[in-house]
Amino acid sequence: MDVFMNIAQAAPALLDPSVLLAMIVGTAVGIAVGALPGLSATMGIAVLIPLTFTMEPLVALGMIAGIYNGSMYGGSIPAILLRIPGTPAGIATVFDGHEMAKQGKARLALNISLVSSSIGSAVSAVALLLLAPPLAMIALRFGPADYFWLAVFGMTTIAIMLSGNPAKGILSACFGLCLGVVGIDTITGNERFTFGSVEFLSGIHIIVLLTGLYAIPPAIDLMMGRNTIDAGNVDLGEKTANFSWSSLIPTWLRSSAIGLIVGLIPALGGNIAALLAWQEERRYSKNKDNWGKGEPAGLAAPECANNADTAATLIPALTLGIPGNAVAAVILGALLVHGLRPGPDLFRADAEVTYGFMLTMLVTSGMMFVIGKLGARAYVNVLRVPRQILGPIILVLTTVGVYAIHNSIFEVILMLVFGLIGFAMERLSIPTAPAVLAVILGPIAEENLRRALLISGDNITYLVRSPISIILAFLVVIALVSPAWTTWRKNKVNAKA
Amino acid sequence: MKRLFAIASAFGLTIAGAAAAEYPERPIEMIVAYSAGGGTDTAARTLAPFIEKYLGEGATITVVNRPGAGGEVGFTELSRARPDGYTIGFINTPNILSIPIARQTRYSMDSIQAVSNVVDDAGAFNVLPNSPFTTLDELVAYAKENPGSVTYGTSGVGGDDHLAVLQFERLTGISMTHVPFSGAADVRAAVMGGHIAMAGLNISEAASLVNEGELIALGQMGEKRWTGAPDVPTFQEQGYDLVMGSSRGIGAPAGIPKEALNALQEAIAKTVEDPEFLAAAEKQDLPLDFQNAADFQAKLDELDSNLQTLWKEDPWVK
Repeated sequence: MDVFMNIAQAAPALLDPSVLLAMIVGTAVGIAVGALPGLSATMGIAVLIPLTFTMEPLVALGMIAGIYNGSMYGGSIPAILLRIPGTPAGIATVFDGHEMAKQGKARLALNISLVSSSIGSAVSAVALLLLAPPLAMIALRFGPADYFWLAVFGMTTIAIMLSGNPAKGILSACFGLCLGVVGIDTITGNERFTFGSVEFLSGIHIIVLLTGLYAIPPAIDLMMGRNTIDAGNVDLGEKTANFSWSSLIPTWLRSSAIGLIVGLIPALGGNIAALLAWQEERRYSKNKDNWGKGEPAGLAAPECANNADTAATLIPALTLGIPGNAVAAVILGALLVHGLRPGPDLFRADAEVTYGFMLTMLVTSGMMFVIGKLGARAYVNVLRVPRQILGPIILVLTTVGVYAIHNSIFEVILMLVFGLIGFAMERLSIPTAPAVLAVILGPIAEENLRRALLISGDNITYLVRSPISIILAFLVVIALVSPAWTTWRKNKVNAKA
Repeated sequence: MKRLFAIASAFGLTIAGAAAAEYPERPIEMIVAYSAGGGTDTAARTLAPFIEKYLGEGATITVVNRPGAGGEVGFTELSRARPDGYTIGFINTPNILSIPIARQTRYSMDSIQAVSNVVDDAGAFNVLPNSPFTTLDELVAYAKENPGSVTYGTSGVGGDDHLAVLQFERLTGISMTHVPFSGAADVRAAVMGGHIAMAGLNISEAASLVNEGELIALGQMGEKRWTGAPDVPTFQEQGYDLVMGSSRGIGAPAGIPKEALNALQEAIAKTVEDPEFLAAAEKQDLPLDFQNAADFQAKLDELDSNLQTLWKEDPWVK
């Protein structure tokens, strides 16, 4: 097998002390970047690339692999401890992870998240190593109509199935859809809802919205003395000994598969993978009622899925030059700097560096486990910080993080406005997750619907022509009908009784 | 406006007279109107250390990213900067010209001075190997028989790929259907998956797939063939007089001191001869095409008037 030959040839280069050091530093930096609200892996890697110009390729790429893997796990730390997801992919982590922390199981939650993340990353890296070229073809199968249905399915799922109250979920999703319309219309080039201001031309940046809706309300709560976790509960971590890890194995298998497949499809990525995994696992679970109230599997599923998409997004990137998300796009840039041109040739002509890079994705998922394990003891101490200090610290960090995206004060103000909106939504128990996802998925759905109609000459049947579209459309219908169905059946049972 | 420009540059000259000898005496800021990590940014950061080297002792260039609104945010900042030679910026065609034509902007080309062009990446039409047309002649014949049925993807409305196709349609009298995407990678995925018939991509963006035989380039719109894809004929070779692409060069606020302009031009001219820079550019698939300030300015003016005409007859934003 060529693949194994290539792996065997590339592996010794990883033992170089400078490569090892680069991977360790990268992973640690990645965890930090992921954990700080407002900072993202994309930014971390983009800032790093110029520094790597003079490095050996594998040293640079090892560090990048570490940042990428580390940041996906790092996002779960504030999500669990403070209910502030560091990245959009961490939204589903909040559902059960923060509930566990509230019940005094913060250490166990961090451990579950770490183990699940490491497993997801490792599965994904192995898939990248062994199956990249054939899997890349899946990415090409998705046409505009399929993207449209996928985005609609994602939004329906989150608005209806993840919310206790479908009406409020849909309301929140509509808010997100409205925000997603702002900016230059990709299809016609016209400005929409920009109010003549250059600040709105590029639309509303997802990190601005996410940090606003998710980081500000907890900070306000902290400062108003409504800290949800008592510092006294933090030390209960040692009770984890009797937790049955093997019960999570089926969850890991299914969630890794979901993360892998969603990661392959360009433009979607970890955000939706985590939510779909959470939703899918709940269907399989015996104790559905505990979901969203601190169910360990409800934490393991999204964390495993959002890490399983890391290496997967690199599959179409490396083989076809089509990056699955913003991070993969930046990594492509880094590869080019080091003379690695994406395409089929990458796996032949530059096999040694390419396979070396893919191996670093695998090795750093292991390093993430070690570094995360050592760090977990320290992270929990965040909860010991007096809340009057923690609140302002969060505000400062988010402000710096959001300012760093485009060096724009306007976006900082926008973030604070979203913060107040988020605070109000929480008081009215309107879920914020559908709004964030709708900002990501709304434009994908709209643009691809219009592309599909352009391609087909306004023939609506084009939307259900491919098998992928038909399956996805069917799933949308099920998602819409199932709450009504459940209510109807309950009524029937009650009537009989 | 022209006169204002003259006054401004004369004014700049007198100020510069005093300080000219030591330019640059403090760090120079280079504005990149696109995000960190993208193609333009990578090119800028590769170029910067070489310009520093040739500007002479102690020169430093700081790259500052000001992304947003398709480049408008960064271009505006460049045009409003103090014209003292300490703020320069990367300017990308046709965006810097087409944006003010299509919408009200906060900068105009009168307030930006060309310094040197560095990269010229020709546009190209690309199809799958099983496409019903594999040359430009066949494309024209096919599109005449089936008006509007050829779907082509581009990296965005008003971008170089879109403008190139519009000019080609005008030149040949054919009509095709535009399917805009948000970035070259999406276009590549769509054409390779067979969802669109043709992809407008820059030749450097298509080169590796074309050289592998995964895509066929019907032609590229450079003035001559490019060494990175030597088998792809130009449009002119095939009898279609169309030259279009995306240039990336250095610009400055109008009215910078002549000494600074000359020093920068010279440093960039030496950079594009530097073997180390050439090696880096080849790695990154950058098709180089150096032009000094006068030539680059003339090229911008010509392209601008072409686009103005195109806009009047067939606006790309309706």
